[in-house]
Amino acid sequence: MAEYLLRRFLQAVFTLLIISMIIFGLISAVPGGIMNAYEDNPDITKEDYARLRAKYGLDDPVPVRYVKWLGNLAQGDWGNSFVSKRPAIEEIGDRLPNTLLLMGVSLFFTLAIAIPLGIYSALKQYSVIDLVLTTLALAGQSLPVFWFGLLLIIVFSVSLQAPGGGPLLPGSGMRTPGEAFNLWDLIRHMILPVTMLSLVSAAGYMRYMRASMLEVIHKDYVRTARGKGLPENLVMTRHALRNALIPIITLVGLDLPYLFGGAIFTETIFAWPGIGRLFFDAALKTDYPVLMAVLMIFSALIIVSSVLVDLIYTAIDPRITLS
Amino acid sequence: MKTLKHILALVVLASVLLAACQPAAPAAPAAPAEQPSAAPAEKPTDIPAPTAAPTTDPNAVVPGGKIVIGTPQEPGVLNPLLQASSVEDWVSAMIIEGLVLVDPAGKYQPVLAKELPTATADGLTITWKLKEGVKFSDGSDFNCDDVKFTLDAVLSDASQASTSGYKDIETLTCVDPFTVEAKFTKVYAPYMRLFNFILPDNAGKLEDLDNWAFNRAPIGTGPWVLKEWKAGDQIILEKNASFREEGKPYLDSVIIKILPSRETGMQLLGTSEINVLWDLVESDFPALEKLADKNVGYAGAVTGENELLLLNFGVTDGSAPADATNAPHPILSDLKVREALQMATDKQAIVDALLSGNVKIGSTVLPAGDFACPQEPSVYDMEKAAALLDEAGWKMGSDNVREKDGVKMELKITSSSGNQLREQTEQVLQKMWEPLGVKLVIENVPSDTLFAGWSSGGLRKVGKFDILLYTTGPFGGDPDSHLFSNYHSLSIPSKDNEGSGSNYSRYSNPDVDAWLDEASATTDMAKRAELYCNVAGQINKDLPRIFLYERLLLSGYNKSLQNFQISPSFVDLSWETQNWWLKK
Repeated sequence: MAEYLLRRFLQAVFTLLIISMIIFGLISAVPGGIMNAYEDNPDITKEDYARLRAKYGLDDPVPVRYVKWLGNLAQGDWGNSFVSKRPAIEEIGDRLPNTLLLMGVSLFFTLAIAIPLGIYSALKQYSVIDLVLTTLALAGQSLPVFWFGLLLIIVFSVSLQAPGGGPLLPGSGMRTPGEAFNLWDLIRHMILPVTMLSLVSAAGYMRYMRASMLEVIHKDYVRTARGKGLPENLVMTRHALRNALIPIITLVGLDLPYLFGGAIFTETIFAWPGIGRLFFDAALKTDYPVLMAVLMIFSALIIVSSVLVDLIYTAIDPRITLS
Repeated sequence: MKTLKHILALVVLASVLLAACQPAAPAAPAAPAEQPSAAPAEKPTDIPAPTAAPTTDPNAVVPGGKIVIGTPQEPGVLNPLLQASSVEDWVSAMIIEGLVLVDPAGKYQPVLAKELPTATADGLTITWKLKEGVKFSDGSDFNCDDVKFTLDAVLSDASQASTSGYKDIETLTCVDPFTVEAKFTKVYAPYMRLFNFILPDNAGKLEDLDNWAFNRAPIGTGPWVLKEWKAGDQIILEKNASFREEGKPYLDSVIIKILPSRETGMQLLGTSEINVLWDLVESDFPALEKLADKNVGYAGAVTGENELLLLNFGVTDGSAPADATNAPHPILSDLKVREALQMATDKQAIVDALLSGNVKIGSTVLPAGDFACPQEPSVYDMEKAAALLDEAGWKMGSDNVREKDGVKMELKITSSSGNQLREQTEQVLQKMWEPLGVKLVIENVPSDTLFAGWSSGGLRKVGKFDILLYTTGPFGGDPDSHLFSNYHSLSIPSKDNEGSGSNYSRYSNPDVDAWLDEASATTDMAKRAELYCNVAGQINKDLPRIFLYERLLLSGYNKSLQNFQISPSFVDLSWETQNWWLKK
């Protein structure tokens, strides 16, 4: 076990190193960058310009800059944002809770919708409801996320009015400007982004749940359980559902980092002050310390969750061994 | 550039996801966050005269209340020494004031100075008289020491502020706490623009500038104090209780809300969820007019910038000749051709068709401010334009494109891609010039490619273009540095000067050089205005640029907000915000 973890750890470090090289190279290859802001300003003298380039560390060739960045990272320093001058990690820390809140609530609703519907659909295979649900799921999976988000805004924040005037639901931000925090206000602001995220991903999960359940209910042990005379609802909850959930847990584990990717769209569309929006703004300004930090954290999350999923596998299925 | 970055963002994200054998994110373009193309302005709108004395009339000031200003961009820092974007400039201008600033008419006004600074006859000593009894929001007194500190700060190593002018100050003396005397090593003509922000002398240690708490909690003498900054969400400003004007600011607080896009801002303006939407552009006029019944209006100021066509006098192979006469452009180096192109450009039609006629056509490099120099607008005359081209030897070919010595009159027009208004302008020009026998080919590039610097081979810097379409001009007061960097022959980017300067036309006229040199060597305002006016006249004769229309600096607002004005400078909408109040 320890040997296995060590091996996975070394693999992960190596993968992250390669990833960091690739993204650093890509970011550096973009023309322009932070210095463009000074390019056309006639009051910025040649000396000012040179001093600023040096301050941003842009005088060094890209490989040198990369090695410096990596060296600082090894000492726990992610660098300071070019734009705000604050440590990149603080910029992320400020926004992480917002992203986690949005993602957590969305994931909850995703599963709360997908699992019961998937089970129902499997149990009533080929019924009218099953057909409707699978069709809707397919449609939901095919929806472009950003388009769906814009549609929600147009319908609920522009066209539909609240009884007292103003839009029915706020389409941006996480609270009404200038008002003290209150839970209802936060919930109102979450409705649209959470709807967008959960409906689209619930569609996918529902299909997995249905497939997984269908596979399980035709297994021998389910027939045995029925044969023993167990009531149908106990057969389903104790024997079928538990086994059918295993692949879903795996999928959720693997999808977690992907959810953060979805955050970039959601947060940009709904001006949600989270990591996704931070990443988008940083990309527009070529603020590479922040870009690198966000991307490396995403990458590390992906690797960690894939290791975790492997470990969970062995825990729930004794036939699998780590080697 | 934006597209490029979107793609980059997606590619990078996708590569990360792929690395873990994950499905890639759907490659869908996210709604682009609008970049503010510093749009500038006239239309001193229906702004009521500041009503200072509270009386019983319905226009009497009602103090109190809060307003929300929407912005599609978020500031990173609020410290003028580190600021690098326009949103940072105006937000910090609500908190931090300068000695002299540019008012909505484009003229210099004393703010923390008692009066405009004076220069000695030789122009080498400038004296500022400071207002007395002014306090910073932390309670400390404002005096000459703060001016001195600001100078040291601007010149310190970590500062990112322009050192133009400041670096020519030999000594700065506090004659008394409220009299500042600066001796210059050489004449700095636009001295009025100096000290347009003042930091308190206790702001922090200069060598540690990047880590100042001040950067996100600035202290100034202005009407507002920063109370809370929720990253990515909103910035809350509260009234500065120790503001120097009794009973002001009228409002209790100003909230700056970060929005996903300008389009969202327009909606919020319509539903009164925000009172002000910062940074509109001329193409937003139709959307604004639709909101007129919701009491939404706009304020704007002519910035001195023009939307213009920049014509290249030199070869377009990227060799960046320092002297374009040795390596001339095969078509545009001929004055008659340039005159013909301007005559074939119906500027009024462009303004009417694309901008609802809300802006003035371009006619001069100096449209506004203390140094305004109006010129006769160009005449639209297709026949004369054709005659000029005939005269220059460009004969109409069988394919309705003129040619001369085997060269076709085919010109590329380049702008930054993704700007709808510019794309439309290019198409209109294409149509306008077609009957003249000029084939205009539209070839837009991402703005990062267009505006990139010398070292990264920016196509504007190295001269790889025929005609550029973009906006530039003397923004925010004094035209000295703009005219020098855009029209002086020393500002032609080439190997000789390591690519510095913005004279992308590679325009060189000894008279213009001489006038500019003379103007930058005197502090006599009247003399300078005359010299700059000579330059403006000569530019219209030589035509390195064709001015299409004057740009505005625009913001939309709900008209219940009184005294909302725009300063055509970095101050933007933050002009005398202490006078804002809400009419019920």
